[in-house]
Amino acid sequence: MMKSLPKLAFRNIFRNLRRSILSAVAIAVSAMSIVMLFGLLDGMEADMANNLKSYYTGEVLIRNSDFEKYERYNPIHLGVDWQAIEPILKENAHVRAAAARINFPSSMYIGDDTHVVMGVGVDFANEEAFIDFPSLVQEGRLPEMGKNEILMGFALAKDMHLGLGDKVTLLSNTATRGSNAITFQIVGIAGFPVASLNANTIWAPIDRVQYFLRMDGLTQEILVQLTKGSDEKLVARQIGSEIEEKTGVVTDTRSWKELNQMYGMLQIAKIAYYFIAMFFFILGSTVIINTTMMVIFERMREIGTLSALGMQGSELTRLFLLEGLFISIIGSCIGVLIGYLGTYYMGKVGLDFTEALSGIDMEISSILYPKTSVTKALIIWAYATVISTLSTFIPSRHASKIQPVEALRYV
Amino acid sequence: MYRKLPAMVLMTLLLFAIPSALFALSSDEIIEKMDNMATFDTTFSTGSIQTTDRFGTKTSLFKSWSQGKVDSLIEFTSTAERGQKILRTAGSLYLFYPDAEQLIRMQGSALRQSMLGSDISYEDMTEEKNTLDSYTAKLEQEEPFNQRSCYVLTLTAKTRSVAYPIQKIWVDKESFLVWKAEYSTQQGRLLKTMEVLQTFETDTRVLPKQSRIEDKMKKDSSTLMTIDSFEANPKLDKSIFTLENLTW
Repeated sequence: MMKSLPKLAFRNIFRNLRRSILSAVAIAVSAMSIVMLFGLLDGMEADMANNLKSYYTGEVLIRNSDFEKYERYNPIHLGVDWQAIEPILKENAHVRAAAARINFPSSMYIGDDTHVVMGVGVDFANEEAFIDFPSLVQEGRLPEMGKNEILMGFALAKDMHLGLGDKVTLLSNTATRGSNAITFQIVGIAGFPVASLNANTIWAPIDRVQYFLRMDGLTQEILVQLTKGSDEKLVARQIGSEIEEKTGVVTDTRSWKELNQMYGMLQIAKIAYYFIAMFFFILGSTVIINTTMMVIFERMREIGTLSALGMQGSELTRLFLLEGLFISIIGSCIGVLIGYLGTYYMGKVGLDFTEALSGIDMEISSILYPKTSVTKALIIWAYATVISTLSTFIPSRHASKIQPVEALRYV
Repeated sequence: MYRKLPAMVLMTLLLFAIPSALFALSSDEIIEKMDNMATFDTTFSTGSIQTTDRFGTKTSLFKSWSQGKVDSLIEFTSTAERGQKILRTAGSLYLFYPDAEQLIRMQGSALRQSMLGSDISYEDMTEEKNTLDSYTAKLEQEEPFNQRSCYVLTLTAKTRSVAYPIQKIWVDKESFLVWKAEYSTQQGRLLKTMEVLQTFETDTRVLPKQSRIEDKMKKDSSTLMTIDSFEANPKLDKSIFTLENLTW
């Protein structure tokens, strides 16, 4: 009897095929949704990490030690000396690339209209390891050093009805804690992957920004990319110590993970999503519980007969558990497979969130590419199978407690 | 004799009270005198703005021209701001920056922005001297300030377009110089204070030489504004106060 239990359980699946399909579909939908959700989350995490490292902080960010403390006052005068720090970075074996940048919030004047923009001063020729500017230019060209030229996000240009050759005047606070205004000409329109960069940024040659903001050769921050496999936190501390040792200046040198709260929150959110996934499976499993209970009541006569013939209660439990296990395996296999293929396809074509993310200041790209992971797919498959199988345990135990005499009344 | 005593007392009181009532100034008259004392046909002055805040002390130098109650032009001469100009004409305020091809017109709330990071706003620096057009004055009391006898007046804004809905000012009873001012919101929240620390005399008028302004919205910040030289009624070319001339 023991050996024939799996065979019997498998055969039972086809006795009421519609119900078995319903149970399998519930599990499949749950498994598929979770695979896709995790694929999207992984894609979002990878995208955010890439954007933060390229556009915002690099893998390590070097700033004036007081900058963060006074950040809300726009302390342009709290800069760092690029000329003194660059040679130190070049000597560090873990440093792959470094670039100086200056972020400056400004009021942009076009006639009597004013618009608040975020200006970024960069050395376009030195940004290769961070931002591939040439590939982002949709119209025109990149600004040249020494010239009052800017590259503008396409959404900002569209909103302000600006195009190549137009001039804008920027008014901003300076490092001397006064104000200054300068006129720049738009020589390029760029399409950045991040919506907020398209909507409110302008990019200018760093030497002109230093002049405009009276920075006297200083830069606001230095972004650093590390060689593969480097421990970001450890190298950040090492760079900070080297700068202090060689220049006598204490800097705020930290890894990108220490600087970006949003990324940390996304990782916390992922843990929350694991719990949500569990509840999702439990919800899907209620269909199996319901179906198994119906099956037990339907097969009451059969249970009574099997009991009368000497089948133990534990064997009856195992029979229904096995039936649930087979349905769960089939359902989660189909669900995970569809979810994986769906995620793979979306990862190739991308999901366009341009409308949803417009106006939202988040370091996430407008088009997201979900990421597939075989390991995660297998974990979800096992997770789905175990939870769904265990959920059949409750009605299965009920079957074992049925007395043969009581069951035979249904005859 | 005793019957006539109350009448005599009354007569005596009237004799003293009527002239003092006749010569007492109304709140509007005080304000008018105050504005007139601060207004010249034309002026030229040089001075400095010294701002102390959490980041240290910074000094900016300026030259200033004014004409009547409204027109004024300020040009900064210190290295960091050299060539920057602020022009105020009736109802408009323009900023000129040497590196900008366009003049920046400040309007609305932008007028209340800090000038060169100081405690003085663009509007404060170039304020029009026709107070009664924008405020209703009420004489509260008389009290000494800096050993000077002063009128204490409360000015309440007639419109919402002014920077300070309520002003409490201490006006010298002799020179009509504003020794102290407290600027508040309608709800009484203190926004800014001004106090004259030193004065100078010109053309029989007393004017502030050094004033301390504190923006109460900024922590640990104060600005000393000092007039180093002052010339009353110099001959000025009227085109000084035109947009065309701003970019000379």
